[in-house]
Amino acid sequence: MPGIERPTMNRPGNLGQTLNDDTSRLDAVAKVTGAAKFSRDRYELDELLFACFVRCPYGSAELESYDAEAARAVPGVLEVEITGGEGKYQGQPVGTVVAESKTALRRALRALAPQWRMRQSISGVEEGAGEAPMTEPGPAKLLEESDLVLDATYSTSVQTHSPFETHGGVVHHRGDRAVAYISTQGVQAAADGLDRELDLKRADIDVRCEYIGGGFGSKLNGAGKEGALAAQVSTKYMRPVMVFTDRYEDHLDTGNRPSLLARVRLAYGRDGTIEGGHIHTWGGVGVARGGGGAVVPSGRYGFGQLQRTHEDVQMNTGALRAFRAPGRPQGSFVEELVIDEIALGSGQDPVELRLRLTEDPDFHAMLQEGAERIGWDRRAASGEQNGTVRRGFGCGTSSWGRYPARAEAEVVVHRDGSVEARTGTQDIGTGMRTVAGVLASYHLGVPIDAVRVAIGRSGLPPGPASGGSMTSHNVAPAMKQAAEDAKRLVLQAVGERTGRATDAMDIAGGEVLENGEAVMGWREACKLLPSDTVVGRGEWSGQRGPSERVGEGNSKGAQFVELTVDTETGVVRVERVVAIQSCGVVVCRKTAENQIIGGVTQGLSYALFEEKRMDRATGSMVNPNLEMYKIIGTGDMPHIEPVLWLKEQTGVRSLGEPPTIPTAGATACAVFNAIGAPVRSLPMTPDKVLAALEGGGA
Amino acid sequence: MSGVTRRSFLQTMGLSAAAAAAQAKAEQAVEIVGGVRIIGPGPVAVTLRVNGRELAHEVDPATTLMEFLRWHAHLTGTKEVCDRGACGGCSVLVDGKLVDSCMMLALDAEGTEVTTIEGLRSGGELDAVQEAFITHDALQCGFCTPGLVLAARALLNENPEPTLEEIKEGLSGNQCRCGTYSNVFNAVLTASGQKPIMDGGA
Repeated sequence: MPGIERPTMNRPGNLGQTLNDDTSRLDAVAKVTGAAKFSRDRYELDELLFACFVRCPYGSAELESYDAEAARAVPGVLEVEITGGEGKYQGQPVGTVVAESKTALRRALRALAPQWRMRQSISGVEEGAGEAPMTEPGPAKLLEESDLVLDATYSTSVQTHSPFETHGGVVHHRGDRAVAYISTQGVQAAADGLDRELDLKRADIDVRCEYIGGGFGSKLNGAGKEGALAAQVSTKYMRPVMVFTDRYEDHLDTGNRPSLLARVRLAYGRDGTIEGGHIHTWGGVGVARGGGGAVVPSGRYGFGQLQRTHEDVQMNTGALRAFRAPGRPQGSFVEELVIDEIALGSGQDPVELRLRLTEDPDFHAMLQEGAERIGWDRRAASGEQNGTVRRGFGCGTSSWGRYPARAEAEVVVHRDGSVEARTGTQDIGTGMRTVAGVLASYHLGVPIDAVRVAIGRSGLPPGPASGGSMTSHNVAPAMKQAAEDAKRLVLQAVGERTGRATDAMDIAGGEVLENGEAVMGWREACKLLPSDTVVGRGEWSGQRGPSERVGEGNSKGAQFVELTVDTETGVVRVERVVAIQSCGVVVCRKTAENQIIGGVTQGLSYALFEEKRMDRATGSMVNPNLEMYKIIGTGDMPHIEPVLWLKEQTGVRSLGEPPTIPTAGATACAVFNAIGAPVRSLPMTPDKVLAALEGGGA
Repeated sequence: MSGVTRRSFLQTMGLSAAAAAAQAKAEQAVEIVGGVRIIGPGPVAVTLRVNGRELAHEVDPATTLMEFLRWHAHLTGTKEVCDRGACGGCSVLVDGKLVDSCMMLALDAEGTEVTTIEGLRSGGELDAVQEAFITHDALQCGFCTPGLVLAARALLNENPEPTLEEIKEGLSGNQCRCGTYSNVFNAVLTASGQKPIMDGGA
């Protein structure tokens, strides 16, 4: 992608330039005025029906009795069906209720009065974990012979996605076609399965998701069981049907980031170089079949002769789902803290040691830049402070690949000069709508105000799902091609009507240029179009060109955290985070910075607060709400400095997931630095900090 | 809830509602038992003044203000997120004060002036808070945004020039899952005519 037009304004921290520095999010007005209609907002639909699942309240239980008659007798209730007699995790559906109102649904569930016989269940990864496999002879010998060995166990909590718009949708079967308002991260894939439920062809199903109230991976599962239920009921009644989980159900049965248990044994040298050893991890996958792995080591640092083994542990809890950078934040937490423990054990500075463990020049530059910005020279050696409140510094790195996806785009130019950029992706809050608009505007040569963006519908040209941080960089080439195609069509019309040479013309800044001189305004040019609209088309196969080297196109980052720990209360207060992040050419500065800020904020929330807490006796979650499931709040916020790393960047790269990878690890390192004892368990709540201080481990 | 039946709960709630709404509503659902006015269990007529307009709907007496606004009046800028007063997603202004509308019965809002996000604009002009949220990109998915905008407006009404710490305190009842707080702070500083905190220094 060519040039970079403007220096970044108002954040001198940014290094370099962006494609668009000052455009505000295109849907910001709709979102700040309440005009943005989310799927869960579709109460205006006439004759709206509601349905929900009857769910098992325990980790494992048999349904002994229930009063379906009483439930059906509740005014407004249309159907009560019990389809299963047992539950293997809390939240598992065992039946359904259909009613005219949400109030009637709630009353029916109460009147149903199900009686359960509880069975023993496994609610934590520790309970189900098997023995770690034997260490192979090579690494075993290293561990035996080395003077310096780190032997420790690390753990992380289960984190629920907790999107503020819960999971579900509204489906309306209209006989020969259907409209499905699904809260989804993939409008194309959301039709998967709905065709069967609705007994319609794919072409007759219109999935709409203009706005989505949070998508962090758990809304990648098509229309989900909620959408499927809505489709079934709508097919029966030919009325619109809303099925959304409530907050309790959402914590239980819509996915989570799995818990991790890691046994780490590493031999290292006096200079901190890791010689090798064995890392065994257990991932608590719930009732899922797998997917509980953690990315440790990440490949960013040398770990010597390492044996790496893993076991997925099934439990009586809701299945995991992809969660923003699956496996990475938990892996990074283990990896970064391990490196800092080895740094202390070998008397090395943690930044210096990282520079020794990686040869990647980008990480060298980012670590040095970050160290300078955070003021690493103010860092006291770990364990050397005596005051009540102690200060700590920590760092971590991240990397993310560039996943291919097919994308098509259209840029429609109307005779009145208005432009519509169309592609069937969606904006989960990343700013994808704005990115698409900026790309169309930039490559067509017209102001962003002239461009309207159409996304979030299944009938649009196919676009990527919002997973794997792959929307921007796959849409970019398709949108570029579509905009350039549209430009060609407009210039062709101008050439034909005015006799100017088409190849001497260009469009920039809303003007038609001939040999670099402005000759006509954009709107004037559009009046010369041969038809009401012309459509520029672009297509991206998702395949990479042959010239691209392996590994090129990775997004990389480094984060530095400064915090204090109150040694009397165990409270960790993060004061500053410097978050350096590369993502190729920055298409839209504001939304890009916001992705970094959001990634860091979620990472801090994971590091310090979030935990699905289980009651072992019942196998049920004790905090299935937003009061007791603690998410970071305004008072917990440090000052975050997002630094867009634009040195030698080409093309558009990934940005959604990488900034949330290193935050928890860097925070754990900073806590370790402050108190001199590692807190090896997330979240780093005050009890664990105090236990670490007392030498009781954590 | 053992010992408290739904009926006795509504009885208690009905008393305060009765005080707020002196005029008898939907008499068919109101009965007097032992001198106590009981509302429900059938639907009752509730009339609320929202964004300067009277809105009347027949609702279940247990309907919260949030449910009245969303389910019946279709004013869906007010969001349902946690449904128990923990996140502020359903924030509205009741007589100018910030309220979690999921924690207030619609009946109890009778006789008050309710302002939702749809009513914050005056004469088509965006509120200074809304403008600043746009400028600072103080939002991502936008689901918590109406609540945060109203919380910021309520804060500035009471404290026109809050410090950063006062902003954090003032907005502490509103959560953002996408994690945009940093930009929200800058938006509130800007909306109150103060300098935002930008990087490369601060």
